[in-house]
Amino acid sequence: MSEAVVMKNVSKQFKVLNRHEGLKGSIQDLFSRDYKIVQAVNDVSLTVMKGEIIGYLGPNGAGKSTTIKMMTGVLEPTEGEILVNGLVPYKDRTANSENIGVVFGQRSQLWWNLPLIESFKLLRDIYLVEEKDYQDMLELYRSLVDIEPILHKPVRQMSLGQRTLSDILAAFLHNPGIVFLDEPTIGLDVSMKARIRELILGLNEVKKTTVILTTHDMGDVDALCRRIVIIDEGKKIYDNDIDHLKNYFGSYRTLRMRLSDDSWVEKVIDESKTDVMHVIAETQKTSRIKDIRLEEISTEEVIRKIYEGGQGA
Amino acid sequence: MEKSLRQKRGFLFYVSIYKKILLQDLKSKMSFRADFIISTFGMVLTNLSGFVTFMILFHNFPSINGWDYHHMLFLYGFSLIALTPVQCFFDNNWNLRFMVRSGDFIKYCFRPINVFFYFISEVFDVKGLGQFAFGLATFIYAWAHIGIPVTAVTIAEAVLFLITASLFMIALMNFAAATCFWIINSGYVMVIMFRFKDFAKYPASIFNGVFRFIFTFLIPIAFVAYYPSLVFVTPDNVPLLSWLSPLIGALFFWLSYKFWMLGVRKYDFTGS
Repeated sequence: MSEAVVMKNVSKQFKVLNRHEGLKGSIQDLFSRDYKIVQAVNDVSLTVMKGEIIGYLGPNGAGKSTTIKMMTGVLEPTEGEILVNGLVPYKDRTANSENIGVVFGQRSQLWWNLPLIESFKLLRDIYLVEEKDYQDMLELYRSLVDIEPILHKPVRQMSLGQRTLSDILAAFLHNPGIVFLDEPTIGLDVSMKARIRELILGLNEVKKTTVILTTHDMGDVDALCRRIVIIDEGKKIYDNDIDHLKNYFGSYRTLRMRLSDDSWVEKVIDESKTDVMHVIAETQKTSRIKDIRLEEISTEEVIRKIYEGGQGA
Repeated sequence: MEKSLRQKRGFLFYVSIYKKILLQDLKSKMSFRADFIISTFGMVLTNLSGFVTFMILFHNFPSINGWDYHHMLFLYGFSLIALTPVQCFFDNNWNLRFMVRSGDFIKYCFRPINVFFYFISEVFDVKGLGQFAFGLATFIYAWAHIGIPVTAVTIAEAVLFLITASLFMIALMNFAAATCFWIINSGYVMVIMFRFKDFAKYPASIFNGVFRFIFTFLIPIAFVAYYPSLVFVTPDNVPLLSWLSPLIGALFFWLSYKFWMLGVRKYDFTGS
C-alpha cells in the first residue's frame, strides 16, 4: 500500500486586516498595514494511505476546510510540505485536479440548468475519460444506486438529497485516486443519508478510491471510517482507529441495574480495572437484580468530550 | 502521462467544450420560453430607445465635429456590434463578486481546465443577440450609404477590427470584475465601467484634451468604435492608433486576463 496524501508539518496563516470603524476608519484601512495573523492550521502532519476512508473531524473553525483547500491546491501552505498522489497541489493545480474529486455539501458543482447526464458528458470530455471507462462507471453507478430517476433531471429541479447524490457521482466519474467529501450528508433525511453512505462505501470498495471525509455527523463516521483524525484550533489532537477512540477516556461503560425494590442503580465501570460480570456478582450478594442495562459510550459523546477539551485518560 | 493529457487540452479542446456547454445551455434556455421571449423583447426595446435618442440628437445637430449622419450611424452600428461579445459571452463577470463573497467561487478551482474559461463559459446571454442584429443592420445600412467599397479586403478588415474592438470592452469588464478579489464594493466599479460604454458611440474628437486622453489611454473606450472606424470612414487619413488598435486590444485583453487570474491566486477563500 502506498501513500495518497503526505502532509509534513503543514501550517497555514491568514493575514486579516484589523478594520477600523466609520468613514475615517475605512480610509485608514486602505493604507493600513495593521494586520493580525490568524493561524488556521498549525504544524499538522498526516499520512493517508491509498484506499483508506478517513474521517477528518473538528469543531467549526478548527481548520478542516483550510486543510482540504491546501490538499486540493486552492491554497498554498505557509509552511510545510504537501504531496497528493506524489504532486505538490498548489504548484501543479491542473495536474493535481486530474486525480482528485471534490464535493462540498450544499454547494453543487454541476451545471445548474443541465440534466445530470449532460453534466456527466461534459465532465467526461473535460477529464478526457475514455468512452469505455465512462460507460463502465455508469454501469457501476446503476448497480450501486437507482440513478434513472435523476439522470434526465436538471440539477436545479432536484431535491437536496438528489443533488448531493449527483455531486458525489460526478466527483467519482473520472475515477480519481482521492475524493474529498466535505459534509456530504448535511441537511439530508435518514434514508438519504443511508443511501449516500452505502454509495460511498461501494465506490471505495470497487474502485479503491481514497476518501477524505469531513463531517459533523457521527453517523457518517461510524458507517464509513475506520480511522479518524481530529483537529482543533489548527492542531492535530487525535489520529487513530475509531475503536481506539472509545478508550480515549478509559474504557468506560455504564451499567444500570433494577433491584428488587424496583429502584435503578447506576454504576460507571472502568473495564481496564474491573469487569462487568464482577460488579453484577457483587451486587447480587446484597440484593436481587430484576433487570440490567449496559450502555456503551457513543462516538458522539467521545468526540464531544474531545471538542470540549477533555483530557484523555 | 500528465504531460500528454495537458497537451490534449489545447485550443481545439476548449472550442469543443465551449460549443457543448453553449448548445446545452441554449437547449435549456428554450425551455424557459416566457423568460426567453420577455428578455429578447426587453433588449429590442432598449435598443430602440437608444436609437430614438440618437435620431433626436441628430435632428437637432445634423453634424457633430465634421461627422455627418451616416458616419455617425456607422460609428453607432460599429459600437453595437463590438459591444455584443461582452454581453453574450462574458456576462458571468457580473456574478463574480457574489460568488467570491459567498465562497461558491471555489468550485471553479477543482477542474483540470483554465479557471477563467470555466467561469466565463458557464453563462451565455442571449439578450446580446438582439443588439447584434440591430447593430449589424445599422452598420450595413451606413456602410452602403457612405459608399465604402465591398471587397475581400474591406470585409476582412471589418471582421478583424470588429473582433479586436470588442476585446477592449471585455478587458475593461474583466478588470472591473476582478477588483472583487481585493475590495468589497466592486459592484460600483463594474457599474461605472459599464456606463463608459455609452461614450463609445461618439467620435472621440468631440471630447476635450483631458477626456480624450482618458478615453484613449486610461479607459480606452475610444477603441471600441472610434479609432477602428476611422479605417473605414476616413481611409485617406487613418491615424497610427487606428492601425495599432488590434494589437493594443489583444494586449489589453491579455493584461486583463492576467489581472483576473492574479486575483484568483491571491484570494484567500476564507470561510467554509
